Amino acid sequence: MAENQPIHIEALNPDCCNQWLYQQDACLTCAMCASVCPVAGVDNYDPRKMVRMVSLGMVDQVVQSRWPWICTMCGKCEQSCPMGIDISDLTRKIRSLREGKHVPGILSKGLAAALETGNNLSLPKEDFIFILEDVGDEVAEEPGLEGFTVPIDKKGARILTTIHNKLVNTHTEDLKPWWRIFHAAGEDWTIASDNWEGTTWGYFTGDDEAMKVMAGRIVENMRRLEIDTLLWPE
Amino acid sequence: MDLATYHDPCNYGRKAEKWFGYGYFNEPRWIMDQCLENWVDLHPNRLHQTCCGGGGGTLTTGYNDERIFYGRRKMDQIRATGARMLILPCHSCHGQINAIKKTYEMDDLVVKYLWELVADCLIF
Repeated sequence: MAENQPIHIEALNPDCCNQWLYQQDACLTCAMCASVCPVAGVDNYDPRKMVRMVSLGMVDQVVQSRWPWICTMCGKCEQSCPMGIDISDLTRKIRSLREGKHVPGILSKGLAAALETGNNLSLPKEDFIFILEDVGDEVAEEPGLEGFTVPIDKKGARILTTIHNKLVNTHTEDLKPWWRIFHAAGEDWTIASDNWEGTTWGYFTGDDEAMKVMAGRIVENMRRLEIDTLLWPE
Repeated sequence: MDLATYHDPCNYGRKAEKWFGYGYFNEPRWIMDQCLENWVDLHPNRLHQTCCGGGGGTLTTGYNDERIFYGRRKMDQIRATGARMLILPCHSCHGQINAIKKTYEMDDLVVKYLWELVADCLIF
């Protein structure tokens, strides 16, 4: 964090980071947010400091810091804010001001893969179907679940459910509980073989357009399969 | 039966309340009541619950020391109940608490999805 830099009033951009103009300027500096934040103190971060820096036009410094990425946007700060400042929304907007290649970890890569292929893993359709059927066969071997199969692309089913990519990657066992429930309930459900991804990493990177694309694809699946109820556990 | 407890994920609770005017606080507790004879709430809970530290993409950023540190309050809350099993309905919270429980010497804590608890109660 650069210190002792002069603040140029003309460079202030009060509507840079929020849904309503000048909201960071409503900060009373009471530090309720800093008091409740579970990660305050790490890297000298606290939500009040971030709000104040945005208010003072020091946006670039906040964007370059790790602060918005060690914050989980849990919303505890804004819940305690007597002025109703949307602090986690501010964090998300600041995240969006980072160039993709400088976003930490795998978020940008996963999101790019999702936009290009329909899922964060770039998992090909035939592999996805193979995994579902393989796990489905295991479920069918359980007592009382004989004959169980995974309905894929079933037109007119009652429920469409999305899939978290980790469930067809490292956590396939975690596919099973929902399937057991569906079976016991006699539910009419299905999974789409394309654009099945339930996570939307645009939420994490502050990319609203990407979120719209991901959500739009799920809606398109519902239209295509003529389904009016969505189970979206992610 | 061992004592269980329930964690309110930020996005289904506090944030849903803010964005959509409705937080899912009662529904999971109704399900807990149907499935378990012996469970208690964490404190604080519902709107005032503490984040586990695994949300917002923090499981993927590589800032792992910070994420593990973040989770200390959640683990303290769970420890204070004496519960042996934690139920939650969120993929990120599930991943985070399983990933950090060893650090907080709570290796034996069983972490289950809410729907996993329901499936476990089914008799076929």
